[in-house]
Amino acid sequence: MNLMSNDGHVIDNLRSMISSSSGARYVEARYQARLATEVNFVNGELDRIRVVENSGCGIRVLVDGCWGFSSTNNLSLLKESLGHAISAARVLAQAKKKKVKGLAESKMLTGIFRTSANGSVSDIDIEQKVQVAREGEKAARSNRAVKAASCTYRETLDHKAIVSSDGADSEIYDSKPEFNVSAIAKRGGQSATAHEGVGVTGGWSDLFKKSHLEYAVTASERAAKLLDAKHVSGIRTTVILDPAMVGLLSHEAIGHTVEADFVLSGSVVKDKIGQQVASELVTLVDSGKSEIASNAGGTIIVDDEGVAAGRTAIIEKGILKSFLHNRESALVFDTESTGNARAFQYNDEPLIRMRNTFIEPGTDKLADMIKETKRGYVVKGARNGQADANGEFMFGAEEVYLVENGEVRELMKGASISGNAFDVLKSVDMVGNEFQYDIGTGYCGKFQPAKVDGGGPYIRCAALIGGLQ
Amino acid sequence: MQDLLRYAIKEAEALGASEAEACAAASSESEIFIESNDVKQAKSQKTSSVGIRVLVGGSAGFYSVNNLTKSKVKDAVSMAIKIARVSPKDRHNALPGKSKAMVLRGIYDKKAGSFEASDAAKMAAEMLDAAKSYDKRVSVDNGNLNADVSTHWLANSNGVDLSEKASIFSWSIMGMAIEDSDISSFDLQLGGSHFVKDIDVHTTATEFAKTVVSSLGPRGIESFKGEMLLTPIAINEMIEEVISHSINSDAVQKKSSHFAGKIGKRVSSDLLTVEDDATNVEGLGASSFDREGVAHRRNVVIEKGVLKKFLYNTYTAKKDGVKSTGNASGSTSSPPSVSTTNFVIRPGRSSLDTLVSEMENGMIISRFSGNVNPVNGDFSGVVKGGRLVKNGTIQHPVKEVMVAGNVFEALRCLNGVSKERKIIYDSILPYMRFDDISFTAG
Repeated sequence: MNLMSNDGHVIDNLRSMISSSSGARYVEARYQARLATEVNFVNGELDRIRVVENSGCGIRVLVDGCWGFSSTNNLSLLKESLGHAISAARVLAQAKKKKVKGLAESKMLTGIFRTSANGSVSDIDIEQKVQVAREGEKAARSNRAVKAASCTYRETLDHKAIVSSDGADSEIYDSKPEFNVSAIAKRGGQSATAHEGVGVTGGWSDLFKKSHLEYAVTASERAAKLLDAKHVSGIRTTVILDPAMVGLLSHEAIGHTVEADFVLSGSVVKDKIGQQVASELVTLVDSGKSEIASNAGGTIIVDDEGVAAGRTAIIEKGILKSFLHNRESALVFDTESTGNARAFQYNDEPLIRMRNTFIEPGTDKLADMIKETKRGYVVKGARNGQADANGEFMFGAEEVYLVENGEVRELMKGASISGNAFDVLKSVDMVGNEFQYDIGTGYCGKFQPAKVDGGGPYIRCAALIGGLQ
Repeated sequence: MQDLLRYAIKEAEALGASEAEACAAASSESEIFIESNDVKQAKSQKTSSVGIRVLVGGSAGFYSVNNLTKSKVKDAVSMAIKIARVSPKDRHNALPGKSKAMVLRGIYDKKAGSFEASDAAKMAAEMLDAAKSYDKRVSVDNGNLNADVSTHWLANSNGVDLSEKASIFSWSIMGMAIEDSDISSFDLQLGGSHFVKDIDVHTTATEFAKTVVSSLGPRGIESFKGEMLLTPIAINEMIEEVISHSINSDAVQKKSSHFAGKIGKRVSSDLLTVEDDATNVEGLGASSFDREGVAHRRNVVIEKGVLKKFLYNTYTAKKDGVKSTGNASGSTSSPPSVSTTNFVIRPGRSSLDTLVSEMENGMIISRFSGNVNPVNGDFSGVVKGGRLVKNGTIQHPVKEVMVAGNVFEALRCLNGVSKERKIIYDSILPYMRFDDISFTAG
């Protein structure tokens, strides 16, 4: 099962197709071969096992100020596919009112790139992947209160080649495994769910720095504890957010508002570059690299237009500094691409997407943050949530601890955190000194999925906390 | 293609599989995207793939590849066998035998083959123009038009050998109306057909434009309890997922269905009849056989409010000791799961106008935006494009209000179903009216 065995010369085919193409102002070809493995156990039974190999080439062209995109899984039909993309763009251009003016000059990253991996997941036998999922599910039921459990091991291996008429010429080898476990405790009519998981860019040893059983037992114990926990009553108060909540807030409530396509359609931050939008303790970054800590799940090195996917400070010491761009939006804003053009599979066109989005660590110790809190909550375990274009958000949190007079008291039931993300960031008065990525099992959805990560230190701020069923 | 699938099955048997299945699909798709009152991008794709499922001594393995060369298929088969050998045994694993073949007419248009990206581009532009020219206050946020021509093949070691062609055209338009500082609720309208001649972007665009313009100038209201009239789209957003989840045998077996143990019991007022019907060619989910090759049929799931049956594939059916209902679902890149095909609610006797005229105090909801819990039926969210009705007449559009309740309780208070129905991709839904719903002003 060697993904990379038959596609060694693909990049040469892409190069020759691009150099011989005519009729388009810009041509970009992206080959992607993906090998995805998934093993899922539910309630003691194998629910699903599958391996899926998916490869092909997506071609994007700019003709008469209009985009065309065409894809095929048959690499002997590249020329025909290019023809489809060009002719469709040409026809659509006649109906298009606002033409695409062009693409910003960008420095292309050329060469072969591999994301770092300790212990390649390709060298791990499928039997071992079945084993971790089976054992994880069983361990998630280790607490007697847990009546239902689920455990999934999933990995995605990619080989990409990106070539464009503007000089992109790179190959990327990437590996992103993840492990998720959930436990549902039940008693009488009550039920409580707990999740644990990890998702990384890296190998088997990067994924399981902690044993799979440890994640499972933690979820099992917590589900049981949550069964007896009391409800939080709705109040605006001091909250200490954990790295996962900080990651979710940075991605979902702030990050989307600064995606340049979103800015162009009227996001709340559109006129705010250079203005203070957060406490000066806050520096919020989106990066294609795994900054500060290793193996962040959204690491990409090069984006899908061939541009280096480096670090972009969105907010620096409280001041809004940059939006997130692809080459098209960068030209509109007269700036450079930030390397945020990403496509999920070969048959998806690149869109402006985030990568690893986080708040940089500060100087406070978590113990001091708690000690200096008279009354409030430590909020952990980010669950899914919603955020609007104006920064209004509501996220679920699985684990909430009451803090009174500088001490952590009891575990409360899951709650929601809501507010306006910019107001919340303005209220930040303490920023922890330890950093962690912790939403790497998540996917972001915007027409197509994208593997992203986020995190930060613990931060102390004010938000509305409310009960959640 | 059939030869390739038979080759895969022979290979699997030679490697020790007791049963084997090969499923393939090839499709050609073109799509036009609309964004911010303009056409944005043309997209086309050609794709083909095969999924191999094998059973080795009661254990299942699955491998899928989107490359149809013989050598790749051979590798896929041997990987599927390898996976099966490390998977736990499950005595319910089985493949279906041959069922009586059924030919479904009306899902493939011969003219679809010559429908080109340029045709799609013209129609998308026409949809945009129709919405914009209805009223200059209309603003289109996004939309699309998609044309998909596909062929599906399925063969297994029990003699099943099937194939079918289908063409599907679908389109959508979404946005709002803007007048100075007044921005209407978002509205979404969808359309779909199997035939080129039935593509009607004009009706969809006009309905969208009409809805957003009529929700301009909303007024605030007091909180109240009263009737709720849902449009087909709102039924799709609020009600359908809860029912489809609850009638799914997989959810029943995993103990997450509210309908578990309720066959033969009343689950709704007697106005509700729900069918799962892949043979209804009006729905875009129509096809003659399911993901495992079991012939499709019409399954009456809820009849006059009484729960009649759950939907099964071969695996879940074996677990319950019943027969598959033809609801194995999924693509070539996944082993079969269970889902609805075309979700159909039978039309009622009243016209939409009558349903409105009978309302004393209530709200018409164009769209629902919020959370629905398919397990316990709780919903809460925001009313989009709401219009207040008093004494049988529509009063005025209302500012966004919250609506919350429980779908299972609402179904017992269902007191009206319209004759008129709309096709929303693979759902065919009427307007439905419920009593005793709480609306909370913001």
